[in-house]
Amino acid sequence: MSPNPAPKSGANCREVAELLVFYVCQEVSESERQQIATHLAACAACSKQLAEEQSLTEVVGAAAQAADEIDATGILLAQCRSEFAEKLDDMAVAAARPRWEPLGWLRRWMALRPAWSGAFLVIFGVMVGTQVVPWIHSGDSDDANGQAVKVMAAPKLSNDQLANMAVARVNVLPSSDPASATVRLQLSAAEPLEMSGNLEDLGVRRVLTYVVENGERFDPGVRLDCLDALKAVAREREVRTALLTAAQKDSNPAVRMKALEALRDSVADEPVREVLLDVLQRDANPGVRVEAVNLLVRSLGHDSAGGPLPGAAMVAPENANAAALAEDASVDRTLRALERLQRQDPSRYVRLRSAAALRQIGPRELQ
Amino acid sequence: MPLPQWALALANESGRSGGTDAALAAVTSLPHLEERALVAEAQAGSRAAFEELVRRYDRDVLRLALNLMKRPEDARDVYQEAFLKVYRNLHRFRFECSFYTWLYRIVTNVCLDQLRRRQARPEDQAPEVHSAHEDGITDFFERQREYRATQDPERRLMGNEIRVRIARAMERLSPRERIVFEMKHYQGLKLRAIGDALGTTEETVKNSLFRATRKLRSELGELR
Repeated sequence: MSPNPAPKSGANCREVAELLVFYVCQEVSESERQQIATHLAACAACSKQLAEEQSLTEVVGAAAQAADEIDATGILLAQCRSEFAEKLDDMAVAAARPRWEPLGWLRRWMALRPAWSGAFLVIFGVMVGTQVVPWIHSGDSDDANGQAVKVMAAPKLSNDQLANMAVARVNVLPSSDPASATVRLQLSAAEPLEMSGNLEDLGVRRVLTYVVENGERFDPGVRLDCLDALKAVAREREVRTALLTAAQKDSNPAVRMKALEALRDSVADEPVREVLLDVLQRDANPGVRVEAVNLLVRSLGHDSAGGPLPGAAMVAPENANAAALAEDASVDRTLRALERLQRQDPSRYVRLRSAAALRQIGPRELQ
Repeated sequence: MPLPQWALALANESGRSGGTDAALAAVTSLPHLEERALVAEAQAGSRAAFEELVRRYDRDVLRLALNLMKRPEDARDVYQEAFLKVYRNLHRFRFECSFYTWLYRIVTNVCLDQLRRRQARPEDQAPEVHSAHEDGITDFFERQREYRATQDPERRLMGNEIRVRIARAMERLSPRERIVFEMKHYQGLKLRAIGDALGTTEETVKNSLFRATRKLRSELGELR
């Protein structure tokens, strides 16, 4: 809907109502202003609405702003200025540091002899184009030395390499099928290398799960990126194990939350539910506990989106009773955990959310 | 409410209706010329010129960031990130728009990124605690009328309550809506100038402002 239709002559209330926001803050054209004024003179309802719009603008404009309260004394501004000046100092020092110039003599020689330099560059270019490029394409490039970054489609890293690697960057190139999205990893193991492949590649998946499982060694941002990438294959056994480990043990609440989010489609599985119950009891962060509550509600089939949960397997008739018993026990534990949270959790928000979850699950399971 | 310096400059560049145009032009034309030279000097590598540019606008940058982010640590991050971007990219500035517009575009983009990151990671925020501060007045606008009519000592308390409720209502806006609303109502910019700063059209800004106002009205009108 366009909020700003130009009113015709004899504009109706709906047209005028949509323009009042802009009328109050003087963002209508002169002709619109006149038409609105004419309409207001004859329409009590629109005049009342105008008064409300003006009241809102007035109140909002008169309210104290966050900046006035947070930095009334200007201390924060002074701190920001000092920090920024220090950053500029650091950058100036880095720029002034002498750099190693192995071919500096050649550049100086070339600068003084432009004609010779031009001829030299032409000859060099021809040689590279006619000799070196075909040689590279002939398949001998494996022996090429001096590459700063080795790019591998499906590399195999040893355990030692994994234990000593650092991950500089994780990029996911989106695809219509999330599992086939291309993942690019910039690693620093024995030497810098770039790894590229989709989530079906075991090498890629191994690095991602390693980062997630050994969170203390990597930057939280990298861990979050890895979790983002793994979300599409969260139902794979080794991925799920890594996600469960991160959800329970990672030191960063944002990472734990992300790990739980990645398990969203696996909540019907018993091990996942066990971890959710554990998180409810042990996690120190109320946001993480609330996410666990949400997922538990979802695991009981009370997701607001409705419909069967992904991964909820069809149970064979002969196993139906056993499955139902196990399900009852699990539901019972979940309800008890939620009731405990509702009564005892130190966070008011978690208590409220648990109460809402119990209401959402309803009396059927509360017996 | 005094307008920030860069708001005056942006208004001067993008057009401001009403009788203040001439005054604004007179106020801003000379500094504008000086500023062009300052930018050129900073581009040539003068740190002093760059620091002077920063000092001209950093108060307003921090103010905008504080109003949008509400937390000093986030505003501090916006400040540092925005000016570092300016420093690193100043050589790309070609005077195709004013320096203020360019700076404002960087700052609003940094703020938008921060707000979106924050929305994507709600665990970073403390859960909202709703105070049980209700009385018998059923409508927000009724409350306003009563509040203005009485000049008693409760005024400050009411003002605080209203501020808290406005801040809470603002939390429900999308990052773009919040920035548009902030720039319109607290920075005093015209919609066209806001569109320039955000790198979008006036029509898009209008839609954002309309939605933001409607949401705020709805939130504040529900006070019971």
